[in-house]
Amino acid sequence: MDKEKTILIVDDVEINRIILADIFEENYNIVEASSGSEAIQLINGNPDIAAVLLDLLMPGVSGLGVLEDMNNTGKIKSIPVFLITAAESDAVLMEGYHLGAVDVIRKPFMTQFLQCRISNVIELYAHRNALEDIVARQVAQLKEINQSMVETLATIIEFRDCESGEHVKRIGKFTRIMMTEVSNAYPEYYLPKKEIDKIVTSSILHDIGKISIPDSILNKPGRLTAEEFDIMKQHTVKGCEILQNIPDIMDKGIYSYSYDICRHHHERWDGRGYPDGLSGDDISIWAQVVAVADVYDALTSERVYKAAYSREKAVEMIYNGECGTFNPKLLKVFRGALEQL
Amino acid sequence: MSMLEELKELGVDVDGGIKRLSGKESLYERMMFKFLDMMKKSVVSPDFDNDNYMEVIEAAHALKGAAGNLSVTPIYEAYGKIVDLLRTQKPDEARAVLTDVLPIQEKILDCIAKHANA
Repeated sequence: MDKEKTILIVDDVEINRIILADIFEENYNIVEASSGSEAIQLINGNPDIAAVLLDLLMPGVSGLGVLEDMNNTGKIKSIPVFLITAAESDAVLMEGYHLGAVDVIRKPFMTQFLQCRISNVIELYAHRNALEDIVARQVAQLKEINQSMVETLATIIEFRDCESGEHVKRIGKFTRIMMTEVSNAYPEYYLPKKEIDKIVTSSILHDIGKISIPDSILNKPGRLTAEEFDIMKQHTVKGCEILQNIPDIMDKGIYSYSYDICRHHHERWDGRGYPDGLSGDDISIWAQVVAVADVYDALTSERVYKAAYSREKAVEMIYNGECGTFNPKLLKVFRGALEQL
Repeated sequence: MSMLEELKELGVDVDGGIKRLSGKESLYERMMFKFLDMMKKSVVSPDFDNDNYMEVIEAAHALKGAAGNLSVTPIYEAYGKIVDLLRTQKPDEARAVLTDVLPIQEKILDCIAKHANA
């Protein structure tokens, strides 16, 4: 058995600590704490602790207090805790179990059983922790692969659109800034960072439907005719159709945000957008944010049919409603967001 | 007579205590000296307040645990009863158990003290 693992013995009575240390020191490193608060410090500061043998009744912070702290820090999931008890009430022991303790060690100690029980649980936890690490690494790898597939897809569409691929990156960046700003400023639009991350990934797929638009329209140097514009508008719905055919390349959250953004990033606050003519907050806040980001980026970029506008001119056009009406709350955070670009 | 032999005669399960320490007799002796210190520091006296004895429970509980681990059977059993009786609000009965154990407790502690100073 290796001696890389450490057992923390927590008991205010030195005799009990020495006896337990004597049982385990042959196979484990031993650290001792004579109080609950000392135990908490050691648990949070020593990554090698493989098990805690914890007395319940101690002056100051009790054993239950230590367990509560381990629940708060999440350590209880990776470190097995054994309660040392002389004869605490069943209610106290139950509370200990509810707080995540794995077993109870009764005094007087039964030496030979203790060694087996505790070593077995330590090995079990080590195995479980190792498996969790592997799963976490694989999940992270999968996420990376997903992300790069989504980015690849978005970049291909951009190249078809005679763009460099930078447009989608800028949209992602601006979406993150705007989403964070609007989420912080308005409780009704609050979203946790984890969700904003998904929205950012989804935002880069907003124009995926353009792959179905003929080159003659997509890259037409001049103004589109009404009929051509109707076809162009179809990229929102076509994008959703494409996503419906590849739902498995992304996780459920990203799929649902992507679908919504694809379909609704040309809707407008006053209901005069397309394809569904949604208005106000019937349009999701993420689709509204991507709409603003998309318009701003289109205005400030050179396209086959137009030169790039200056930043000031683009802002003026957006505020004047020349590119459709946007949510006033969004426009309030728009300037601040621009400064972070 | 050695300390351990004397303690056996006073009802201490010396063999059980040493077995708990993987047969380490000298460690057991050292533990007995620590036990003496502990008993001196946390004296449980029969003149405790009948309405307020939380601290008595805590002290008795700690002594019970240590005595149990060292197999000091008379003290372990008596303090176990004292804790149970106090937890069930029977201070007079607890006091009676404490008064009964004090003479043997004193003999055990005197024995350890004698050898500690030897």
